[in-house]
Amino acid sequence: MKNERKRTFLLITIPILALFVCFNTIPLIRGVIYSFTNFKGFGSYDWVGFRNYVDLFSDARVGKSYLFTFKLAIVSTIVVNVISLILALGLNSKIRAKSFFRGAYFLPNILGALVVGYIFNYFFTYILPAVADMVGIEALSSSILSNPSAAWIGVMVVCAWQAIAMNTIIYISGLQTVPEDVYEAGGLDGATGWKQFKYLTFPLIIPFFSINMVLCVKNFLMVFDQIMALTKGGPAQSTESISYLIYNNGMSGGQFGFQSANAVVFFIVIVVISVAQMKFSGKKEEQL
Amino acid sequence: MKRSKIKYLEAALCCAAVATVGGCGNASDDGKIQIEIVQYKPEAANYFSTVEEEFNATHDDIHLKISSPNDAMTILRTRFIREDYPDIIGIGGDINYSYFVDAEILADVSDYEGLQNINQAYLDIDEALELVPTDGIYAVPYVANAAGVLYNRDMFAEHGWEIPQNWDELITLCDEIKAEGILPFYFGFKDTWTCLAPWNAMAVDLAPADTAKQVNRGETTFSKEYREVSEKYLKLLNYGPDDPFAYGYNDACTAFARGESAMYPIGSYAAPQILSVNPDLNLDSFVMPASDNSDGNTLNSGIDLQFCVMADCPNKEAAYEVLNFLYADENIQKYIDAQTAIPCKEGDFELPSILDGMTDYILEGNMTDYQDHYYPSEMAVDAQIQTFLLQKDVDAFLSKFDTDWLRYNRDIIRLVQDYEKQHGNAN
Amino acid sequence: MKNMMNKKVNTPAMILLILGLSTIIFPLYLTIVIAFKQPSEMTNSISGILSLPKVWSLNNFREAMEITNFWNSLRNSLLITLLTVALSIAVHSLMGYALGRNKAHSKFYSFVYLFIVSGMFVPFAILMMPIAKQTAEMGLANWFGVVLLYVVFYMPMNVLLYSGYLVNIPMALEEAAKVDGASTWRTYWKIIFPVMRPMHATVAVLTALAVWNDVMTPLIVMAGSEQNTLPLAQLNFQSQFGTNYNLAFASYLLSLIPILIFYIICQKQILNGVVNGAVK
Repeated sequence: MKNERKRTFLLITIPILALFVCFNTIPLIRGVIYSFTNFKGFGSYDWVGFRNYVDLFSDARVGKSYLFTFKLAIVSTIVVNVISLILALGLNSKIRAKSFFRGAYFLPNILGALVVGYIFNYFFTYILPAVADMVGIEALSSSILSNPSAAWIGVMVVCAWQAIAMNTIIYISGLQTVPEDVYEAGGLDGATGWKQFKYLTFPLIIPFFSINMVLCVKNFLMVFDQIMALTKGGPAQSTESISYLIYNNGMSGGQFGFQSANAVVFFIVIVVISVAQMKFSGKKEEQL
Repeated sequence: MKRSKIKYLEAALCCAAVATVGGCGNASDDGKIQIEIVQYKPEAANYFSTVEEEFNATHDDIHLKISSPNDAMTILRTRFIREDYPDIIGIGGDINYSYFVDAEILADVSDYEGLQNINQAYLDIDEALELVPTDGIYAVPYVANAAGVLYNRDMFAEHGWEIPQNWDELITLCDEIKAEGILPFYFGFKDTWTCLAPWNAMAVDLAPADTAKQVNRGETTFSKEYREVSEKYLKLLNYGPDDPFAYGYNDACTAFARGESAMYPIGSYAAPQILSVNPDLNLDSFVMPASDNSDGNTLNSGIDLQFCVMADCPNKEAAYEVLNFLYADENIQKYIDAQTAIPCKEGDFELPSILDGMTDYILEGNMTDYQDHYYPSEMAVDAQIQTFLLQKDVDAFLSKFDTDWLRYNRDIIRLVQDYEKQHGNAN
Repeated sequence: MKNMMNKKVNTPAMILLILGLSTIIFPLYLTIVIAFKQPSEMTNSISGILSLPKVWSLNNFREAMEITNFWNSLRNSLLITLLTVALSIAVHSLMGYALGRNKAHSKFYSFVYLFIVSGMFVPFAILMMPIAKQTAEMGLANWFGVVLLYVVFYMPMNVLLYSGYLVNIPMALEEAAKVDGASTWRTYWKIIFPVMRPMHATVAVLTALAVWNDVMTPLIVMAGSEQNTLPLAQLNFQSQFGTNYNLAFASYLLSLIPILIFYIICQKQILNGVVNGAVK
């Protein structure tokens, strides 16, 4: 009987594990192997040792894409979390048509990022400048996507538009775990408004705050669809995210080997950040 | 009973591991030889689907399939990564061709009879594109294009403007146009590749045709050869729209077609797109007069489309049969009518009227290949030019060009050096 | 929540929310209006942008459907999504069960568990180039290959969810069945699988949303096969719309409609699923 159970578990685990290894572990290892070659994606290739890695750290374009990606991730995370928290507080307060609002606010999240990007692309190129012209805002009268120092804001807005929906819903579920009597007790102590939020509400939803941080950072660091739809990395290579650069130069640009090295480094960066985040949020939760 | 689910999964895995990609040129069920062409010009998709139909209607033994995907170079490269080769590819005469020859994935077609009718000048261009000289011939040039300046003929006639012959005349003309309240040029720099069109057209006038190869041999630098091009390009920018980086190629074609500017510095390949917006536009072109001397200019022309048979193709004869059909005079004429192109085949072809202003150069053979056909695509020179046009810093741009060039061409430079060591310096 | 009766409607919050809503409605309104207009109706003035189309004609949609081969892409998208969801529920719940029940007392299973869950950290970027090569070598450069890849990519997350949920299911349930002589396999499908139903809903929603909107995997695997998913078709036909933004927007709208309908029907399940998945 016991053996039957053991055998069944093994029969379940082995094939599924094989599938996982086949399409996750093996490609990962192959990626690492390619990173030591000058493979273009076709034809023959040579081993070049660590040359790709050495190049990586002296390549201004790669450096720029890391800077851009991190700038986008950090700013978006802050913007998204602040707005989502405010929205969640609003949506959780006593309002009419609550479920309608919640449904509507989640809508952007279910739409495909690529198509959303295309829609906003038109919005930034034609509508926003037209509106700005009419209102007389000089700074916005040309497309922000054509300005190398502002295009990232366009990308950020589109990323945030979709991510806010997700984070708001998570904050709402967090707020619902806060029992009413906490507020009542707090009310007696004279805690209202900002104070109530800072000392009563926020500490209780910290776990949800960390979930949102992890979600945001992870998604924004891997941003791809929005770039593809909005800027294709331009203008002046100012909005090339790491994933976009790896795709664009690795798949179609003949840098299969070099970009594999880039991907390996990116992988390590993601692991370090994820581990750090888990450690950090784990500690924070313990303190409370 | 439920256990069969696991078995199914295992079976699927095994099948997946065992199954291999169907190669090219497989005989299908009905015994016909299959020939697949992937060509990289999506704007010519209609032409090629007609060719496909006509070919299949007249050939019982071969079934032809032509696909004209959008962003074909990415698709082709992805397919090459997968080692899933079509039988014939239609690509441009640019660095990709050089790479493909170097990677030995193209078949030697020197035994193809149709080559005799191809203009030698274009075969020479292909030869020059090879990273190191080879014995074989790996492509059959189909059509060429030319880049210069497209202009609105009616607008010019109405105002009495004349075609400029040198740089000063061009600038004077632009000032005149501007003074009349008309925009001289339109640009679509949001699509980075369009930054290369004026660049190429001016560079052929101002820099040696083999600049890239000279640099590879260490004989000169781009800082030296490209300074004048860069400085003149910045001047052109003053005559374009306020924010050229906001608009893409499509937007620019549309705006020019609607008469929002008098000229558009782009290649002849843009004509069909422009005419599709405004079929009544009276369109003509002239050679970019970047040189200070009227006779120092040359037409920027390169191979726009050529067909290469893949080394993997098992039915070379069938592939040649397809090529014969494609290179029949009436089909080439149809292509150049539809796409305003220059045929690479010798013969009595009627050139499209929008090339009127360039005909002299074409007949004289005063043509020079695009400089960017030698730039490695991963160096993204188009984006570097876009950056330069935004920052307007000539020195920074050129010094970056030189350092990046050495890095991205490292393997090529070594390849060339090895070759020369082995074969002795041919020059 | 119970004490809400004695609170007034929060008017400032209402105003804020209605204003905020306009940032969501406006782009969608724009999409709809532009999709119905003709190119000649497009002007760069505010009134021109906001105005309703003169004629509500479906011509743009008809043409967009033709250009993008809409029904074919829709079929591919549906096929890939449904099959991925079905396989995910079957495969991932089984794996979650096998690992969840054994990882506490077996080094092997706890290693496998960690091994799979840590797959969450692997960015697609590092897999994509080898995957393009590998799927082709295996003859999987098609929609079925895409499905298999999805089953692998979402495995870490879903196995984590299932094995986490399993902690709440007492062993006693299984043991009762065992006494009746049922095999472990049978017990799983008869007892455990149905009990995990709430988790199935969560997994289905999360997987379906992610798969439906994903561009990269089909882009890498299916490029050149002339088969598209709905988002991939938008990418591949983008340049064929040229500057006819009306046609492009009709096509965008078409690609959004299926998921919008799905959302309107199953809004509650989707919201629950998403929250459960994130909060775990």
